[in-house]
Amino acid sequence: MAKMKYPEQIVANIPFCPGCGHGIIVRLMVECVNELGYSDKIVMHQAVGCCSLVGLGLDWEMLVGAHGGGGANATGLKRMLKDTALVIAYQGDGDAYNIGLAETLNAAYRNENITVIAVNNTNFGMTGGQMSWTTLPGQRTTTSVDGRDSKTSGMPIKVPELIANSFDTAYVARGTVTSPAEIRKTKGFIKQGLQNQIDGKGHSLIEILSPCPTNWHSNPITDSLDRIEKELIPFYYPIGELKVKGE
Amino acid sequence: MKEVVFAGFGGQGVLTAGLVLAQIALFNDKKATWIPEYGAAMRGGTSNCTVKYDPEEVGSPGQEEPDLVMALNNPSFTKFVNIVKPGGYMLVNSDLVTVDTDLRDDITVLKIPGSTISDGLGSSKALNIVMVGAMIKAMGDFTKEEAIAGMNDMFAKKGKNDFEMQNVRAFEAGYEAV
Amino acid sequence: MGDMVKGNVAMGEAAIRAGMHMYAGYPITPSTEIMEYLSWRAPQEDRVFIQAESEMAAMKMVYGAAATGARVLTASSGLGISCKQEGVSYMNMAQYPGVMINVVRYGDGLGSLMSGQTDYLREVKGAGNGDARMIVLSPSSVQEAYDLVYEAFDISQKYKSLVMILTEGGLGQMMEECEYSEMKTVPFASWGYTGDRSKDEYRPMGMGADVYAHALEMAAKRVTIKEEMQRWESGFLDDAEYVMLGYGLPGRAIKSYVKARRAEGEKIGYIRPISLWPFPEKAFKGINPGVKGFISVETSDDGGMVEDVALYGKKYGSGFEKVPVYGLFCPPGIPTLRFIGEKFEDIKSGKMKEVF
Repeated sequence: MAKMKYPEQIVANIPFCPGCGHGIIVRLMVECVNELGYSDKIVMHQAVGCCSLVGLGLDWEMLVGAHGGGGANATGLKRMLKDTALVIAYQGDGDAYNIGLAETLNAAYRNENITVIAVNNTNFGMTGGQMSWTTLPGQRTTTSVDGRDSKTSGMPIKVPELIANSFDTAYVARGTVTSPAEIRKTKGFIKQGLQNQIDGKGHSLIEILSPCPTNWHSNPITDSLDRIEKELIPFYYPIGELKVKGE
Repeated sequence: MKEVVFAGFGGQGVLTAGLVLAQIALFNDKKATWIPEYGAAMRGGTSNCTVKYDPEEVGSPGQEEPDLVMALNNPSFTKFVNIVKPGGYMLVNSDLVTVDTDLRDDITVLKIPGSTISDGLGSSKALNIVMVGAMIKAMGDFTKEEAIAGMNDMFAKKGKNDFEMQNVRAFEAGYEAV
Repeated sequence: MGDMVKGNVAMGEAAIRAGMHMYAGYPITPSTEIMEYLSWRAPQEDRVFIQAESEMAAMKMVYGAAATGARVLTASSGLGISCKQEGVSYMNMAQYPGVMINVVRYGDGLGSLMSGQTDYLREVKGAGNGDARMIVLSPSSVQEAYDLVYEAFDISQKYKSLVMILTEGGLGQMMEECEYSEMKTVPFASWGYTGDRSKDEYRPMGMGADVYAHALEMAAKRVTIKEEMQRWESGFLDDAEYVMLGYGLPGRAIKSYVKARRAEGEKIGYIRPISLWPFPEKAFKGINPGVKGFISVETSDDGGMVEDVALYGKKYGSGFEKVPVYGLFCPPGIPTLRFIGEKFEDIKSGKMKEVF
């Protein structure tokens, strides 16, 4: 059996659920930072929720983030560290778009020179699969047991589009991890977001559609990836670069 | 411990007038506090501040029982006439305070035509300094020279010494009017 | 001779001179002049000033900045500090130093704009979830406000603890003589995040891996703080029949009142706590064993500090277990000596009953 190769900064198994997209995304972030020559100049805001699990296996400096505080926590870090280190706010959709919507939008509004990685799996994963603002209409969660009723709970939120269309930021993109090709594209988005920070261009948001087989109650390999490709991308969350400043 | 309240319309310079007294006290080796009414209380056009000074220390800086109230308009007179300490002074700008001022027989009402005097000096903005001059005379705690030196020191530190001559003239005019 | 300086301005300048690296805040009366002042003064000295979108975000920015070992400050009033509680608790968990200023406005909820001391229980008894505590210091003059803020950054770093400067609208807004001390240039603390994980000197991330060890460390730290950080000013205690206790503006008012009454032969003493947590229980040593009452003088509905006066003053073994504790609660605003005098007569005549 071939030996698995992974970046040296990942020092222990991070206990994400089988089929979860977080593991891939963490690896992509580390690879991008290393390839840009910032392996010893990186601080990450680690959000409450599934994102907090990275602390168990990723040997980076990490701030235990306050609920939804990524935009503000990372602002404090970056304003102090200036260009001596990269700052990533690593957040889930519940964290960045529900409880942290204000901080997320305001950091973008100020065009803070940070890179936000928002993992969208259409629910609150860590707490057991509750409805989040990205949950699709009709999607069953533990707080929408008959399926999300958009009449009373709103339609899925599209923060990347909101930021891309409303604020003067550097970069907005949405990727996914459903295939090697998509993973490669997503890595490109992350790397661009970090390069923007190195170049002092300002705020970059990369949303990544990520499977959550545990709370979607679906097969990790097939059904979950299918759902992203057949439901999320075509009907709600188109992938690709949504905004590149200067273009 | 002495307490003086400065009250009038916003723009009449009552907060600055109070600060001049506090700085005069400091300049002459006394302790002083200055406190304005702030927040919503300062909206609506009237403002006031309270200055306390003492050779040793000022306890509570708040408005309590002023030895003198400088009232530059009618609302200020009406608001404060009843808290003046018995035996104390109500110093009014008689050009603008037109209400009946004969309300208490245990205080002295000093009527100074402050607006007329300051207009005569060529600057209606000098009203507050004219009234400070009158206030210093009435209180009797500082000589004219001590007070002017303290006032000039304050404006010099603010980089406003260009107006020193005008300020001294206004102060003296008020001082002589009592 | 110092100049007349506004309390809020003095505290802003103190932070600059103490080597503050970053301020984040949100406007609220009566503390706003602190941020207005720092908005231009901080950049002048190459420090960072951020007007945050909310009180919550301001505290989270402070938390992020503190992680780098920077000297951080935020200021607010009453309800603004309520919003900050989450970040306060995170700071405590991570043991990041930082300084907060609460220029208290009277009341709960939106409260009023009047000066008051109605935040005592929140600031002194806790700081968010967990057994969180802050060192709480309260000035009673503009000079003392300046001095305490100036020193607070060092205290905060020494004890790895937030320091709260608990002051009142009246003190933030008033002007008084104030002399500034020297400008300090302070580097970021060596344990702060730089992005380089290979260096070994660190604050643990969050509570650290060992929660039991964290609990013991926090407990030990608080014992040390209680022993080393008690501060107060007192006078006329050894033959006092009544002892008045007050902090902040009531603190200076009772000192003035007691001195005046002493001159008339009234046997009355005062304690002005400067540290509220830890509460200066050592101050009770040396009080006349025959004292007839402790009187907590506060600008408050029904008292906050009065509970600590009873708790520490009547401590078992102190000899004062049966001394009544009275609450002399001043109405919203700046306390007047006349009001304090009237209520004191009510206490002596038995018209006002003790609280504890």
